[in-house]
Amino acid sequence: MEIQIKGLKKHYHSEGKVVKALDGVSVTIPANKIFTLLGPSGCGKTTLLRCIVGLESPDEGEIIIGNTTVLSTEKKIYVPTEDRGLGMVFQTYAIWPHMNVFNNVAYPLQTRKLPKDEIRQRVEKTLKFVQLEGFENRPATKLSGGQQQRVALARALVAEPKVILFDEPLSNLDAKLREETRKELRDFLGELEITAIYVTHDRVEALALSDSIAVMRAGNILEIGSPKKIYFDADNQFVADFIGRANLVRSKIVEHTENSTVVQSALGTLHCQKRDFPLGSEAILCIRPEFINLEEGDSSADQSPDQGKNRNAVEGVLETMIFVGDTYEGEIRVGSEPLMVKLPPETKLTEGSRVRFSVSQDHCLLVHG
Amino acid sequence: MTKKHTRLTWFLIFVAGSLTVVPVLMLILGSFSRGLRALGNFTLDKYISVYTDPTLGAVIGNTVVFVLGSAAFATVLALFLAYLNNRTDMPMKYAFKTLSVVPMMIPHVLFSVSWALLLNPTNGILNLVINNLFGLENSIFNIYSLGGMILVEGLLDLPIAYLIIAPAMASFDISLEESSRVSGAGTMSTLTRITLPVLRPAILASFILCTVRCLASFAVPKVLGMPGRIFVLSTYIYRTVTAGLVADYGKAAAVGMSVLAVSIILIYVYRYFTRSSERFVTISSRGFKPAVIELKKARIPLFILMIILTFMLIVLPVVVLLYTSFVPYAMVPSARAFSMMNLNHWRAVLADPISILSLKNSLFLGIVGATVGVILSIFVSYVIVKVKTRASGLLESISFLSFSFPGIVIGIGFMWFFVRTPLYATIWALLLGYIATYLPYGIRPLTSAFIQIHSHLEESSTVCGAKLLTTMRRIVVPLLVPGIISGWVLMATMFFRELSLSVILSRPGTEVLAVQILKFADDGMWGRLSALGIIMIFFSTLMVVGFNLLGSRFKFQDRDERANRKLARAG
Repeated sequence: MEIQIKGLKKHYHSEGKVVKALDGVSVTIPANKIFTLLGPSGCGKTTLLRCIVGLESPDEGEIIIGNTTVLSTEKKIYVPTEDRGLGMVFQTYAIWPHMNVFNNVAYPLQTRKLPKDEIRQRVEKTLKFVQLEGFENRPATKLSGGQQQRVALARALVAEPKVILFDEPLSNLDAKLREETRKELRDFLGELEITAIYVTHDRVEALALSDSIAVMRAGNILEIGSPKKIYFDADNQFVADFIGRANLVRSKIVEHTENSTVVQSALGTLHCQKRDFPLGSEAILCIRPEFINLEEGDSSADQSPDQGKNRNAVEGVLETMIFVGDTYEGEIRVGSEPLMVKLPPETKLTEGSRVRFSVSQDHCLLVHG
Repeated sequence: MTKKHTRLTWFLIFVAGSLTVVPVLMLILGSFSRGLRALGNFTLDKYISVYTDPTLGAVIGNTVVFVLGSAAFATVLALFLAYLNNRTDMPMKYAFKTLSVVPMMIPHVLFSVSWALLLNPTNGILNLVINNLFGLENSIFNIYSLGGMILVEGLLDLPIAYLIIAPAMASFDISLEESSRVSGAGTMSTLTRITLPVLRPAILASFILCTVRCLASFAVPKVLGMPGRIFVLSTYIYRTVTAGLVADYGKAAAVGMSVLAVSIILIYVYRYFTRSSERFVTISSRGFKPAVIELKKARIPLFILMIILTFMLIVLPVVVLLYTSFVPYAMVPSARAFSMMNLNHWRAVLADPISILSLKNSLFLGIVGATVGVILSIFVSYVIVKVKTRASGLLESISFLSFSFPGIVIGIGFMWFFVRTPLYATIWALLLGYIATYLPYGIRPLTSAFIQIHSHLEESSTVCGAKLLTTMRRIVVPLLVPGIISGWVLMATMFFRELSLSVILSRPGTEVLAVQILKFADDGMWGRLSALGIIMIFFSTLMVVGFNLLGSRFKFQDRDERANRKLARAG
């Protein structure tokens, strides 16, 4: 089901200050896709999610789920949470500690007063789906973190809702389990015809899981796009910076060529992705460390794979190198501008050496400051 | 849902307000009135006559020494016990942890009486034993003194102090101390420069709360102070309404006003400290094993000290009462004493209609009062924790107000109120007074139970399609059971032994146990007193054990849950 959100506003008053948790958010969430709300804490992503499920009532706005208006401040419509028929996985999982696994999962069916046999069948089926067969009689308190997470998922899915909401469901798991569960979750959701809205502050999680990502800041959605679009082609400096490690360099537009925009910056004159900034205006040049190609000695000179394009060769000094296992994290200084770079673990370069590097114009991203 | 909550909040504000604000207002009005039957005839006479009383100065002096002395004694003792129990390799730590809380089960009036029986200067059993041993003429110890009062009151307030200090001590982030050790400080200087300063808010909170309790204390000043003619404010008020031909409730109210004002101020200071203590005492979520401090040579002497304390706190009072209830008059335990033992006092008590009536009344007040009190507390706590509005803040302040009520003072306030109603001299007056005065003791355990129920647990029930009532029935109430049990037990035991409010409100026909015990004490009938006291302790214990058993059938294992989460996080 598609979800339409129009002009949603929610302000909190705390200690005399007004916090704009939602500052007029409008967005259409496509049906049967995984849609992620990504942003730093306090950006309003959880508030938005809680408004959709009805646990929070916004000051202003409209929410339409499928063909049903569940909230409209103008038309004075408010469908209470329990009647919205959605599924939700909470950050704390909210597994009821005084019930066993069966009763936890059966609860949504019990509140819908389904016959006992059907409840048993559907709980069994759902537990099988999340790979927890045979756990029915286990007390909820005797589950590991990952199992609790799956019980929570089973409970959200058992009533076969058209929309399922996730509020940072992986943040309580340790790193390794988080990675496994993320993959599992993607598989589970891929098998179902369901609209999933996923809230997280973890960019890797967002990139790995989503069909579409909305990056939020201070109660606003800044940008919406596919993971690749957000990572490679962000329009907004905050988005580009938040979604991955990035070198941000102030620059000035000096020329528009046929397939590139040329800027003047501390790194010299560089050809960048084509953007329609006015000539002479300021923009932020964003280069991700993994796209800075260092030349080792002179062997690799002139053998660039993308020959048709500008290679943007720059010179600098490799100031520091830190070994982090699969790579070296280094810092190159060009004039006074420090740049983060990645070096292969078997590199022969050492700290203090003068280096030449290039950045393909496709990876020189210009964003609004 | 929000509208329902608003209505509920204001309804509760009305109920709690009637219970807690009315007696205060009546006390204020009363203090400016000519007499119990002439409310509202404005006069300043009562204030003038009371505050120009030349004996009041000495009373206030006694009160200050008694209150500060007892509070300091209780806090230092609690700190010492909490440290030994939580942080050292003291043997049998777990047994001693319960030790510090057990005195809550013994009614204050009985505890005071048992010490009078042991250490009174004329025929206190311990004094007689010591005199015989050393061939002395006069007793060395006199419990009817300020020192004696401080000793007994301090021991009585130990549980309160311990319950505040021990959790702070237990949840102390050990790395604060470890980094002090790494920086080169030894055990002692770490204790004085890091541990105690970090615990300062808890220590101050404990001291202030004990101060309020001592100020309100009536049993100890009545049983141990009045025989030696040492008056403090609470007994001064008591004398104003009991001695002389006409009880002067106006004068009592005028004195009570100052006591109440001091209490309220102290309670708000206490609140300030407990609020900042949450910020101060850093509870780390990482599973940690507190470093155990080795007592080395001090281990055995400290262990013996703990055993002596246990003996003083639990064994001695009960044994003395039991002994006194069987011997015909006060005598040193000896072969002769044991041969003279009989059941006369027990027969007399069981045949005494007033004693039996007081037992019935106290049982009724304990069971019915605690049940009503807990039901009210459930709703009040729900609103305080889960409804975050200005009105719910008001409700919290109102229901917290009675935390500062000295029983005898608020009893005077209630007196001014009940005389005007058909409730006067009925058991319902006592019931209402008890609930009003002890409401915070029901609310506190329930509030913490509600806080533990993460809002997600309720919300996820709502998302699953459950209505408010279903969520209440299936999620909230089952999770509340532990809180309900501790609230009920706390209220029931407090109501069952209530003294200071009852001495004012109890009338012929509505006698309660503690008042009856006091009457026996006034008449010097120690044998009957002890027999009734043992009966009282028996029923009190029965209530605690019975209700706990009932509750344990519903209880879920939250301790296991926490352990499991820790496992999950670690693995």
